[in-house]
Amino acid sequence: MRNGRDMTMVPLPATIIGRKELSADTTLYRLTLESSEKDRFDFNPGQFVQLSVPSGGEVPLSLAGPPLLHYSFELCVRRVGHVTDMLHHLLPPNRVGVRGPFGNGFPLSEWTGRNILLIAGGLGIAPLRSLLYALLMRRGEFGEITLMYGAREPSAILFKEELAELSGRRDMHLFLTVDFATEQSPGGLACNTGLLPTLLRGVNFSTTGTVAAVCGPPALYRCLLEELQGFGITAEHIYLSLERRMKCGVGLCCHCAVGDLFCCSDGPVFRYSQLKGISGAI
Amino acid sequence: MTRNLLKHDSIADFLEILATFGELHGPVLTDVGVSAFRPLGPGIDLLLDYSRTLVPPKKYLLPPRDTVLFFATDEGYRQPAAAVPETILVGLHPCDLQGIAYLDKVFMRDRIDPLYRARRTALTLIGLSCEPDEYCFCGDLSATETHGCDLFMRRSPCEFHLRSNTPKGKAILDRLTPILAEGEPLPADSRTCDMAAAIQQASVRGETFEKSALWDEFAGRCLSCGACSLCCPTCYCFDIREYGALDGETTMRLREWDNCLFKDHGEVAGGFNFRKSRQERFHYRYQHKYLGFGPTRGIVSCVGCGRCRVVCPVGIDLLELFKESEDEKRP
Repeated sequence: MRNGRDMTMVPLPATIIGRKELSADTTLYRLTLESSEKDRFDFNPGQFVQLSVPSGGEVPLSLAGPPLLHYSFELCVRRVGHVTDMLHHLLPPNRVGVRGPFGNGFPLSEWTGRNILLIAGGLGIAPLRSLLYALLMRRGEFGEITLMYGAREPSAILFKEELAELSGRRDMHLFLTVDFATEQSPGGLACNTGLLPTLLRGVNFSTTGTVAAVCGPPALYRCLLEELQGFGITAEHIYLSLERRMKCGVGLCCHCAVGDLFCCSDGPVFRYSQLKGISGAI
Repeated sequence: MTRNLLKHDSIADFLEILATFGELHGPVLTDVGVSAFRPLGPGIDLLLDYSRTLVPPKKYLLPPRDTVLFFATDEGYRQPAAAVPETILVGLHPCDLQGIAYLDKVFMRDRIDPLYRARRTALTLIGLSCEPDEYCFCGDLSATETHGCDLFMRRSPCEFHLRSNTPKGKAILDRLTPILAEGEPLPADSRTCDMAAAIQQASVRGETFEKSALWDEFAGRCLSCGACSLCCPTCYCFDIREYGALDGETTMRLREWDNCLFKDHGEVAGGFNFRKSRQERFHYRYQHKYLGFGPTRGIVSCVGCGRCRVVCPVGIDLLELFKESEDEKRP
């Protein structure tokens, strides 16, 4: 509850305070809640919000930024539908509406002492970027941290400048790959060519006591999960962030069920062991 | 002996007294020959011997299109003030009462939906003995016939035996006393149904009939018209749509009945569809209806009213899944 309003039902006014184009169709927004002088907006990486563009409607979006900016938060949005198209016409200090945060997020506290492998495909980098910053903020609590990020082509790699910065860090490993290389290395980044499973097989990372967090399109899950288990990472230790069209975010509208679980309220982060045997889950 | 007998010739007085408690609605035969819950009034006959209405009473709690938010540039999104008139719904069969009891669980238990609650609080439910026919298949009536309704009318050949279950029902019964005759309370109707038992057992087993050939058969015939879900007393899934006004300053956000048989139900941004085939959509419907999602996991939400079997234009009947499995068990 904020200012006596139920944030799960009524969108709170939020102001766009930053906007950065990441690729031809994808933009990073920074938003702040107008009541934020008094309230913090904290969340777990992997949680999502419902973003309203007045007269357009509402869409579920992963929180893409560090979880403790307190008074602002970031969303990485691809212009792909009616609402996101309207959003892409907005500039600071235009106003939108926000409900949430919703869902469970990644269980960081259960990962203490473990090696952590993040695998992002395409726009799946959005929640994993949030997760990565959360891990780095508590760097001492975890073992090896590796991010593998695959995009369709060099121009589709998001957060290039940040990736360049991350690639220079000694306390994590970064591997990039693109499906098709039609140009030289993107923004000076070292980048492989091929699909993520190929990258996974070709690079070194710790496979003992490792948890994997994966986010990407369904096709990525289908080819990657067997590979990961082949490396000895059990289904119990593989976490997936699933995409569904959540209309309500609170387990009512029944659009996002995965088996008998709701993606919006039981997820969107699931252990692979929860999803095995559920047809249509991935 | 208590005064609880309502004679048939007192029905007009009965309705007149009920109308003093709120807007009176009940099943009527419309001019197109369909049974429907409608406002009652002079010259409109309440149906007391109907099998089922086409559209279930869920429309009183979840209107097909419901404004859930208003937006204005200067004040942001606001919930509408819920001004709901007291409504008396008379003549609900046990299956429809059970349907409402299920919706109460969804919208008023773990997470209270304010619009639903406002409407539900203003609704008085008056139940009526069931009129079973070849389409319906509700379970053991004796245990739960009244499903938390305020007042129940149990039919006997010449009269109705009234029983109140709630303080609201008691208040109404007290006011009705002058027109009631004395009688012994009737024992509850007792009727069991093999199909309802088979459904319960399949649900407890977590049965998904994954290997049944019927899914393909259903999908081959289904027209994706969604009638089965539209007329289901417990189907409540909804879409959210926003309609901007021409002034560019104000908008309304509506909650509208959606349908899991529709192709776009499982679609996400960019066009990927998690339930592209009709088989997948049938499985989804089955899962929700008989096994439950999230907080309703384990609750069978099919109440056996038979509407889906009546309305399907191509005669699809999910009960065939249970029948097939029962037949397989026989030697």
